[in-house]
Amino acid sequence: MEEWRYEPAVDLNQSLTERLKNFPRQPDMLQYGIRSVLALAIRAWLRVYHRLEISGRENLPREGSFVLVANHTSHLDTLCLLAALPLQKLHRAFPAAAADYFFVKVPRVAAAVLIVNAFPFHREIHVRQSLGVCERLLANPGNILILFPEGTRSPDGKLRPFKPGIGALLAGTAIPAVPCWVAGAAQAWPKGRWLARPRQVRVVVGKPRSYAALPKDRQSSLEVARDLERAVAELSGG
Amino acid sequence: MSSPEALRNQVVLTYLAIVLALLALAGAALLILKPRLGEKVRPVWLTYRSWLVMVPIVLGCVFLGRWAIIAGTALLSIFGFKEFARATGLYRDWGMTGVVYLAIAAVGTAALVNDPFKQAPGWFGLFLAMPVYAISLILTIPILRNQPRGQLQAEALAILGFIYLGWMFGHLGFLANSDNPYGYVLYILFATELNDVAAFTFGKLLGRRQFRSNISPKKTWEGALGALAVSMALPWALQFSFPRFGPLQLVLTGLIVGAGGQMGDLAISVIKRDIGIKDTGAAIPGHGGILDRIDSLIFAAPLYLHMIHYFYGLR
Repeated sequence: MEEWRYEPAVDLNQSLTERLKNFPRQPDMLQYGIRSVLALAIRAWLRVYHRLEISGRENLPREGSFVLVANHTSHLDTLCLLAALPLQKLHRAFPAAAADYFFVKVPRVAAAVLIVNAFPFHREIHVRQSLGVCERLLANPGNILILFPEGTRSPDGKLRPFKPGIGALLAGTAIPAVPCWVAGAAQAWPKGRWLARPRQVRVVVGKPRSYAALPKDRQSSLEVARDLERAVAELSGG
Repeated sequence: MSSPEALRNQVVLTYLAIVLALLALAGAALLILKPRLGEKVRPVWLTYRSWLVMVPIVLGCVFLGRWAIIAGTALLSIFGFKEFARATGLYRDWGMTGVVYLAIAAVGTAALVNDPFKQAPGWFGLFLAMPVYAISLILTIPILRNQPRGQLQAEALAILGFIYLGWMFGHLGFLANSDNPYGYVLYILFATELNDVAAFTFGKLLGRRQFRSNISPKKTWEGALGALAVSMALPWALQFSFPRFGPLQLVLTGLIVGAGGQMGDLAISVIKRDIGIKDTGAAIPGHGGILDRIDSLIFAAPLYLHMIHYFYGLR
């Protein structure tokens, strides 16, 4: 008789909090289940409490990987952008979350991982490594990355300059970048507040852009970052 | 069973006093030994600190009453099975694991609802029939997939996982439906954990001869027999937990906890050894995984319930 082969999870001997901080994570049915239920609740809450409006959904690529690039003023941004995606893409969408903010204390790690499926992005040091993680994610067709190239939530709601990392990731690749504008999130749930106010939030999804023709160098990185910054600003209508 | 009732219940208060006294005693002993043994105390200290977290959670469930004991048992089953699935690799099979999770939830529900024919809490008939439904579902999955390759292993792991970790362990929650819930539940919890601690302590102090060398090299005959002696004596000392028990039932209770508890420990060890892992997880610092902690209870609780059911009925 042939012997059975067991393949234990590679993170078997790690505690739950250590496992949450890992990336890539092992697929976990309970985690997916909790996230799906929470996503439904969050979508309902956004629709009712924030009267969320989404326009330009038809611009989202139907297949393949892509990157959502948006302005960042509030924790609501990620939730609204996820709500703009089809529900079956929930576990394939990975928002980049600041490792120094979201991946330190257990409650925030749990929220970032369970609710939005975030992955740790090191914005101060090891930026290259984090971009490498992004590249590997995008290499898997169907994965969606949600990036905020401003690098932090804007305190006054104005668009801040995009960091060139987004350019380094996209220049010379065929991966489409979809610019998005989230309006009203700064008023609804500004930086530093505990709870959200019942203000309206709108999401505008722009036309995808591709930078396959550019060479992979520093100059085009800056160019891509500037171009996306312009594209996002244009969606704001101002 | 309710919180005010628990606070007035003599059995609950007696167990509370015993457990607090033991924890205080163990803490004091560790503090005294610390300067003499130094670093050797550290792992034991870690184990002890985890007890300080687990004991209030378990006692909290008992204070909250029937639903909390059943829900707590179901949650332990779910996370215990999750560890088993992660250790064996079954967790990659979402169909199988999904059915087992559902079946565990159904076991908890059967323990929670009223028996529609007797108007008593806990639907024992459905509870006992649960393996039939679960196994039928598990065996249906490969058929729906139209895929035989590797399915025997997945089916076998899912069935063992459900029957042992979900249904057999679920008997612990069902004990809360009996007419002496506090006495029965608190005794089995206290006695099996004490049996574990006794085996560990006797083994450390007197251990010479290996008990089951290939399965669990650290266990010794001295530890096993010492724990059995403690567990055989305990029902007589705590007879207030089950006033109806005569000598035969007291002896059986001692055997179920003393021998059954250690079998449960070794049964999980067999699984771990065959897979080639040391612990089933790292959920509880100093103890290992959830299964490493509840392994004795899984084996002892159902035997204990059916012993009670045979002699007295649950209600």
